Amino acid sequence: MLSRAASSLFWMARYLERAENQARLLDVSLTMALIDVPEDREEQLSVPLLVNGSLDIFMELYGEITPLNLITFLLIDDRFQGSVYNLFRNARDNALHVRGNLSSDVWEGINLSWLEFKELRLKGVTESSASQVFDWTRERSHVFRGAAYGTMLRNDTFHFLRLGTFIERADTTARVLDIRQQLALQPGDERASRPFFEWTALLHSLAAFEAYQTTYGHNIEPMNVAELLILNADLPRSLHGCLQEIASLLEQIEGQRGRRAKRLATSLFANLRYGDRHYIEEHGLHEYLADFLTRIQRIADQIQKDYMGWQI
Amino acid sequence: MQIKRPSAGMYDEIFDENHLVRPHCEVLRQWLLQADEHLIAEKRREADVLFHRLGITFNVYGEDQGTDRLIPFDLIPRIISAPEWQRLQAGLRQRVQALNRFLYDIYHDYDIIKAGIIPAEQVFANNQYQPGMQSLKLPRNIYVHIAGIDLIRHSDGDYYVLEDNLRCPSGVSYMLENRKMMMRLFPELFADCPVAPIDHYPALLGETLRASSLNPDPTVVLLSPGRFNSAYFEHAFLAQQMGIELVEGPDLYVRNNQVFMKTTSGPRQVDVIYRRIDDDFLDPLIGNPDSMIGVPGLYAAYRTGNVVIANAMGTGVGDDKSIYPYVPEMIRFYLGEEPILKNVPTWQCRRKEDMKYVLENLHKLVVKETQGAGGYGMLIGPASTKKEREWFKNAITARPDNYIAQPTLCLSSCPTFVEQGIAPRHLDLRPFVLSGKKIQMVPGGLTRVALKEGSLVVNSSQGGGTKDTWVLEGEPC
Repeated sequence: MLSRAASSLFWMARYLERAENQARLLDVSLTMALIDVPEDREEQLSVPLLVNGSLDIFMELYGEITPLNLITFLLIDDRFQGSVYNLFRNARDNALHVRGNLSSDVWEGINLSWLEFKELRLKGVTESSASQVFDWTRERSHVFRGAAYGTMLRNDTFHFLRLGTFIERADTTARVLDIRQQLALQPGDERASRPFFEWTALLHSLAAFEAYQTTYGHNIEPMNVAELLILNADLPRSLHGCLQEIASLLEQIEGQRGRRAKRLATSLFANLRYGDRHYIEEHGLHEYLADFLTRIQRIADQIQKDYMGWQI
Repeated sequence: MQIKRPSAGMYDEIFDENHLVRPHCEVLRQWLLQADEHLIAEKRREADVLFHRLGITFNVYGEDQGTDRLIPFDLIPRIISAPEWQRLQAGLRQRVQALNRFLYDIYHDYDIIKAGIIPAEQVFANNQYQPGMQSLKLPRNIYVHIAGIDLIRHSDGDYYVLEDNLRCPSGVSYMLENRKMMMRLFPELFADCPVAPIDHYPALLGETLRASSLNPDPTVVLLSPGRFNSAYFEHAFLAQQMGIELVEGPDLYVRNNQVFMKTTSGPRQVDVIYRRIDDDFLDPLIGNPDSMIGVPGLYAAYRTGNVVIANAMGTGVGDDKSIYPYVPEMIRFYLGEEPILKNVPTWQCRRKEDMKYVLENLHKLVVKETQGAGGYGMLIGPASTKKEREWFKNAITARPDNYIAQPTLCLSSCPTFVEQGIAPRHLDLRPFVLSGKKIQMVPGGLTRVALKEGSLVVNSSQGGGTKDTWVLEGEPC
């Protein structure tokens, strides 16, 4: 397939995945801020900004972290490239590039998301209507995934699209886990309930709360959470799950290119596939995740270099 | 619902001079007479939503996103009877065949010029003429693979060719989507009426493009200027329907006079380029040097015969308004046949006596620039102001060869949904003619309708809309 088309598909899927992740994160942060003690409210609210690295630009534009400012900034602010509004717009722009490669269902799904979000933005979003927007965003993401799964040929169009999804997802899972575990393990905090809150919030924002309970029962143990989100092969948002997909997708792409990307992905996958929680514990969770983030970034760069970059 | 009947002297596609529904339109009679205002309003809204969702919108240059516009779609179809279409089809075939022969001739043997039928300067001094195309051998000698011929019906009831579009005619996606929309909104209408199918157009187009190459299994691509082009939806739509890559200039490059596209598995050679870019922008090395949408070196590859460009370069001479008056002569000259479709009588201002007549009768005539398109740069005499006529008078006197004039034709009308019920509006018809191993077309074309009362300008850029076009197969039941 065309290199430019591969790039558009890759980024289209990344933007859509990012939109969904952002909605989930923000949703959980707002809820947590309500039940947290007043002095920690601001910290709760800042989690989505820390995850996507937008704290500085947010403070510059709004000056104060309030639920409404946060909702406005992360959902509908057209000045922020990472707002859900701009993510949908970029996804739709990329989809337009590859309109011919997508099935009608996928294209119409993405186009409709954009049209509806535009309407939604005109109406404005308030604290009380935000949760409807979160639900809507999640649903649109499900529609995209379902349409892609149910109607697209399993060719390179599908492969590059899915690569975008899993690169983005792996990146998000690692970031959210890292930020939340740092908050949970803050020294000098006497409240016993705090870690519990943090780990629960973490599981909710990665749609893994039910999965945790099924696997480990009701007790929330930090290392169990880490094990689930990093090493569990069956959790769709775990690092292991994402890398398994990435390695297998790269294998299916036609042609002889991409040897380096494949090597990097396979080696990271092997680390997860054969890793264990003791290693992570010894190594330190934060260090482990920092290393993972560097490596997943390198894989993303290499995919773009191998398949989408051209020097003639 | 209130139906306004056409005024006397107009030809209406559905009502005859006694205001009776024409026999082949019988299926519409009940429907129109019983049409419930609320139901129709609802269906129109539904069509709008569906078109938006499909993304059948066009961009207006210079406007920000959020202004994707729809071309208004009218729910009342235009109906053409079977025998009428037979005749149109034969006429279109004949015309396109002659135009292809003409284009071959002006780049090879110059017979028609030697025979004194067309003055040499009108061909060679035409700014669409590409000297570089001279003596270049093209497969099957086809220059115009895709032609869009604009037809109108005059008040005498007969069809006239208004214009030949031989460069990158657009609009075919609207023809296809309009039909899909009608079948979705009013399936019951199709149950009672033998409407000829058109959905095989992309297949025919693909076949035509493959047949344009000597390679038995060619790689075909559609070259688009990109998503800011107003016809981008159509480009993407056709590429998808034909299962070919939709490429933009930067996706292609030329090495050793061969064209390649950049794919994820490496370079892949391209044999046929269905281009939706004007001649001047195809190759910055020979055309507009600032073109970012073209492919440097493409022209050299083309001249070497390593790639087919459809339509060929230099076809613009054939649809120029200064060449238009000669098409009937071309048909006689190349095919030895009498033209089946009529030309609109045309005064060429480059001729002294024609110019004199035109200047004296500006208020009655339609004046057009020979190189103009899209409804721009024209004067509609009866609707013009004195100031406009003055302006054109000066312009014509300064550059007579830049202008032609035609009588103001009374385009036929068709009942159309307007603010106040149903009223007649003027329309034209653009069938798409494909030249490959043979000349083919799907029955029908794009019907454009002027939505303003009394307006004769059907272009979408000037407030025109579209209708579904039904060609009947045999007698309606």
